[in-house]
Amino acid sequence: MFDYTYLPSPNLLPSLVEMMLKIIFICTMNMAVFAPVLGWVERKQSALMQDRIGANRAEIFGFTVFGLLHVATDALKLLFKEDFIPRGADRPLHYLAPFIAVVPALVAFAVIPFGGKYMLWGHEANLVIADLNVGMLYIFAVASLSTYGAVIGGWASNNSWSLLGGLRVGAQMLSYEVAMGLTLVGVFMVYGSLQLTTIGMAQENFFHWGIFLQPLGFILFITCALAENKRTPFDIPEAESELIAGYFTEYSGLKFAMFWMSEFLEMVTISAVLVALFFGGWQIPFISHQGLIDAMGHLFGPNFGAIVAMLIHVVVFWVKVISWIVILMLIRWSLPRFRFDQVMRLGWKIVLPLALANIVVTGFILLAVR
Amino acid sequence: MEDKNQLDLNTELMVLNMGPSHPATHGTVRFFLKLDGEKIVHMETEIGYLHRGFEKHCENGTWTQAFPYTDRLNYCSAPQNNVAYALAVEKLLGVTDKIPARAVYIRTIMCELARMADHYTNLAAGTLELGALTAFIYFVEARELTWDIIESVCGARLTSNYIRVGGLASDLPEGFAGHVKSVFAKNRVFWSEFDKLLTHNRIFLDRMRDTGAISREDAISFAFTGPCLRAAGVEYDVRKASPYLAYREVDFDIPVGTTGDNFDRYLVRMEEINQSMRIVEQCLSLLPSGPININDASVRNPSKEDGHTYMESMIFHFKNTIEGIQVPKGESYVPTEGTNGELGFYLVSQGGGKPWKCRVRPPCFALTQAMGHMCTGSYLADIIPTFDMINLIGGECDR
Amino acid sequence: MAANYKKVNRGVKLTLWERLYVMEVVRGVTITARHFFRNWVSTFRSYVSGNPAERGIMTIYYPEEKPVVPEAYRGRPMLVRAMDGKEKCVACGLCEVACPAKCISIVGAMRPDGTRYPETYTLDGAVCIFCGLCEEACPEEAIVMTHNYEGLVEYDRRLMLYDKEALLVPEDKLKGRLDYIRRRMYNKCNY
Repeated sequence: MFDYTYLPSPNLLPSLVEMMLKIIFICTMNMAVFAPVLGWVERKQSALMQDRIGANRAEIFGFTVFGLLHVATDALKLLFKEDFIPRGADRPLHYLAPFIAVVPALVAFAVIPFGGKYMLWGHEANLVIADLNVGMLYIFAVASLSTYGAVIGGWASNNSWSLLGGLRVGAQMLSYEVAMGLTLVGVFMVYGSLQLTTIGMAQENFFHWGIFLQPLGFILFITCALAENKRTPFDIPEAESELIAGYFTEYSGLKFAMFWMSEFLEMVTISAVLVALFFGGWQIPFISHQGLIDAMGHLFGPNFGAIVAMLIHVVVFWVKVISWIVILMLIRWSLPRFRFDQVMRLGWKIVLPLALANIVVTGFILLAVR
Repeated sequence: MEDKNQLDLNTELMVLNMGPSHPATHGTVRFFLKLDGEKIVHMETEIGYLHRGFEKHCENGTWTQAFPYTDRLNYCSAPQNNVAYALAVEKLLGVTDKIPARAVYIRTIMCELARMADHYTNLAAGTLELGALTAFIYFVEARELTWDIIESVCGARLTSNYIRVGGLASDLPEGFAGHVKSVFAKNRVFWSEFDKLLTHNRIFLDRMRDTGAISREDAISFAFTGPCLRAAGVEYDVRKASPYLAYREVDFDIPVGTTGDNFDRYLVRMEEINQSMRIVEQCLSLLPSGPININDASVRNPSKEDGHTYMESMIFHFKNTIEGIQVPKGESYVPTEGTNGELGFYLVSQGGGKPWKCRVRPPCFALTQAMGHMCTGSYLADIIPTFDMINLIGGECDR
Repeated sequence: MAANYKKVNRGVKLTLWERLYVMEVVRGVTITARHFFRNWVSTFRSYVSGNPAERGIMTIYYPEEKPVVPEAYRGRPMLVRAMDGKEKCVACGLCEVACPAKCISIVGAMRPDGTRYPETYTLDGAVCIFCGLCEEACPEEAIVMTHNYEGLVEYDRRLMLYDKEALLVPEDKLKGRLDYIRRRMYNKCNY
């Protein structure tokens, strides 16, 4: 079942360099660019949606940079804030919870391809950190780990509201984990693989993008993904008007920031998965992967051409991801939230049967086509 | 077998203390909850966290000095409190019929603008707490525009202090009708956007429909009034049942619900905003010119010329200010339709310049006492829309 | 002309699409997205042109841009200094008794020429509720509510205890408000 192609090939040094570069790139993108900047994007975007101006006061030498400096001041404030642990809290678990929440969101990115395969000076560069043949299963496995962070945080805080939040997280994640797995079965059937690079290559033709082949699967997946992300309309575990802040009520300082960051990172991961599965990954509509590399090769020579093509593909991928982040934020700021039992009903009674139906229908269509 | 397992489990109810400083209990109220999982088994409401001694304050000032205090009862619709108090004092004085027509119409306009502002605030806050943050801001914008009108007339957005015994503090500003027209045009856009964002949204419907419902009979026995009573299907509106101000002269609909749940309350309020705009527009077209104060030197302030020319005017000015308006012995109560229900001041005068007793009948006190009745048996999350649609205003309920 | 009771339309019919949530999500997001892009463009345009009026947004950059208050606005209460440099106030004490919050205290005195003036006039800005009743009570138009809404709060309550010198403002600076009072509040046509 498992093949170990993701391990470094015998040609060790270039592979190692490539691996390091990819990890550094993804970590920088996520930790240094997305996690903080999304805080700014969220503020500014929600402000403009609501006819407001948004954060604009933090300044250095009179430059406010459209409020971007608030990100830095936020980080500073959270860094110096008192790290509060309530009396009666389970201290080790209280410490551990934010780490459990934030790590899976980062680690899940390992299998998402942000570009294709390129031949550079005889070395094949594959723009994915770990090209697992069970890629999506890995994402499911890791993503469900982040639930523990929230549940443990809710339990360890020794606060009734946190406990209620933790319980709600547990129930909600459990319900949508099942549905989320099943919604994507249709995609796997269509592309015949769990490997995200294979799925990406299969979407070279614009009309073979997941959104056209699996429209229902897409809608169901985005529902489940929103629920997994715990943001409005599915933010019942942290519903501020009901549970104050839910499972992170008793967190402050950097630990709070880690919960906050894990939410943003999850959003990036979800957008990336959406793009990789349904929106062609790094592929540009109507231009084939190899076609772009050849065209660039004619212009800049084979190696530099491949690098230019690689850069174009990477940029296209991130543009798609960012567009999806913006759309997810639009949804988050537009909708009211569900009630606890209604989330459960939606998960078990609507999404799950529809996902199963989607599998059956996809199966029949595949049989008919072949 | 299943039941036996259940019995063996050592389960107990979760006791939860919601408020007084909890995001949902704005207006500082406290709920003692007993929860079975997410279900509310028992609920008690405790009020009084915003008690400021309004009634006692009023008894220590002159009749005029109570106006700034009434602003601070229901701060979202201050002019209505002013009007309700002024009407009660005028009834004691026996000058109700002598108020000039222009003053009556302007009072009606202010009342309806205040009703709009209050409903905007209430519906906006309600959706905010259900998580619809953008719809919240759209209605807050509409409210700000409405408050702009109120500010241009009264001089302050919230603490209007505009109505006086026997008339008004000042006349309408120039270009008032045009201002109102331009604001209403914008507000109608906000209204339709809010409506599109929420009224057909299934998430919102599921949260509002059949939650916090109260039957017609229960609503009456809990002394409900206003939109919450009408949502339960009772056709009662003080503006129609015992018309005051200019409500007899204008044409408007009073929305009535059927089941008394949160969705009905929401719809009633949404429709009342439109009807208030209608009333304001009619009043503006009917608005007569003329004086805005009663022609009675013992009640109103004299004009500058009179004060500086006639000794009597100056004396009345000093006596009215220092001793207060001399109100004959007696007691009075005038019901008015406040935004949340019947609002009235029960005043007792022993003669002289100060109220002997000033009791306010706040609409939301009666509504708040039914919280436990409406929420027991429902989910924890149902407290939020129910409490929002009750629209408890701490300043009014706790006084 | 009368009021009529009317049932609200409670039976909001949901189409199948609406039942599946998707349609309403799309519609809601369209509305908010329209606001988003419209404000984005207008904010950017106003940033380029430097004209705040082009920003189609209600909020204002407060300390840099000041809100325009209406004529009736009741801001900080101020005493009027007549053109000859003397206080207009005659220390009659009407504002003192008219104030519901009891924030004014006056000690009157007599000038050599026999006119009265306030020896001390203290207004506690921490207690004042900006109701404007002092302005209405004053027979001399000596205390007015100005349009000044800035610097009303301090970190120390003692700093908010304004004395006469802090309150006095030359008459010509208060022209607009004095005119407003005469026209709107003290006019004979009011009754």
